[in-house]
Amino acid sequence: MNERDVVIGIGLEEACLTIEQVAACGAVDAAWVHERVTEGLLTTAGSGTEWRFTATHLTRVQRMRGIERDFEAAPELAALVADLLEQLDAARRLLALKGLP
Amino acid sequence: MEFKDYYKILGVAKEATADEVKKAYRKLARKYHPDVSKEKDADTRMKEVNEAYAALSDPEKRAAYDQVGSGYQPGQDFRPPPGWNGGHEFSGHEFTPEEAAGFSDFFSEVFGGQGGGRGARGRGRGRGQGPGRGNFRAQGQDHHARVMLEIEDAFNEATRQITLRVPTVGEDGRVHIENRTLSVRIPRGVHEGQMIRLAGQGSPGVGGGTAGDLLLEVHFNPHPRYRLEGRDLHVKLPVAPWEAALGAEVPVTIPGSTLSVRVPAGAQSGKQLRVRGKGVPAKEPGELYLDLQVVLPPADTPEAKAGYETMAREFPAFDPRAAGGVS
Repeated sequence: MNERDVVIGIGLEEACLTIEQVAACGAVDAAWVHERVTEGLLTTAGSGTEWRFTATHLTRVQRMRGIERDFEAAPELAALVADLLEQLDAARRLLALKGLP
Repeated sequence: MEFKDYYKILGVAKEATADEVKKAYRKLARKYHPDVSKEKDADTRMKEVNEAYAALSDPEKRAAYDQVGSGYQPGQDFRPPPGWNGGHEFSGHEFTPEEAAGFSDFFSEVFGGQGGGRGARGRGRGRGQGPGRGNFRAQGQDHHARVMLEIEDAFNEATRQITLRVPTVGEDGRVHIENRTLSVRIPRGVHEGQMIRLAGQGSPGVGGGTAGDLLLEVHFNPHPRYRLEGRDLHVKLPVAPWEAALGAEVPVTIPGSTLSVRVPAGAQSGKQLRVRGKGVPAKEPGELYLDLQVVLPPADTPEAKAGYETMAREFPAFDPRAAGGVS
């Protein structure tokens, strides 16, 4: 393979996504994200005036958007489902660490 | 290409009302939800269900599908009528680019006419600029994809081929699903959930604007011996009973190197040893955690049986159940 054909990946800091990026990758508008942050349904990372988001936040955005879209759910209900799925993720990680299926 | 019977996929009759289609979709969306479904083929079925709903939830698409698909049976070789151009958006029901990329060639053939669903159109990032008409410039949209790596990749600067399915607009103005393969150099020290940026690999810019980035979210395939928690590496370390009882120096293979680790005397199964800084390499490297497992040799020869019988005689007071309150 030609060395020039290799795309160099750059590892990013944990809280690396801007509101525009998390919105674009989650297929929502920045206003959708802004509204859910101000309503307390979605958190942000980092300090300072500019909001930053992590991959975990992006997963939450995608989940909430899917629940709202597929079931015409209220944002608060979608956030509740996302909370439960995050608890499920944590339990699964714990089981995996103990080598359990 | 095979004809897809979207009514059968959603389990509704051809005369089903819009409400019945929606209800069937919701029922299946719950059944095959990727976070909770225990069905083996949940991912594939969910893609089919999304595709079927994208077609049948939109009255115009549904009418076009009924027109072009009349007389076909599921799995039958499908050829659109000459000159067919559905003139519909590729996507529907506001599916994400990742979801739309999972749609079949059949969907692309029937509905790919007008170039672009939400993702395929390649929205700008709101950074458009230009003083006058015809001089609009906008940066291309960033894209996101999840990538599965091997745990060893976090320790070495590995190059991996990654194939993405992306909707793209061809010269004929139709949307096609294309497999795009990239060779990506994975930076050393990546961890679960970390984002890797591939500059300029997102959507092309508009009017000379720069292309967006592709953001890869890192996840690792399960490994029989290794597990990662953040940058900490967990490794199962099997030891012989005499190594655990008397202490021993044992070799431990981790990605990229073999270490010599001192097991303290009196170690038991379940005990965890920590080796500082031998997890995933980084400015602040992770730790290596060794989970001890005492493995008994099989008593499958007269000599081995005699060895265990000797132990039984030599440890008359030993009761392995006493500590747990079993006896």
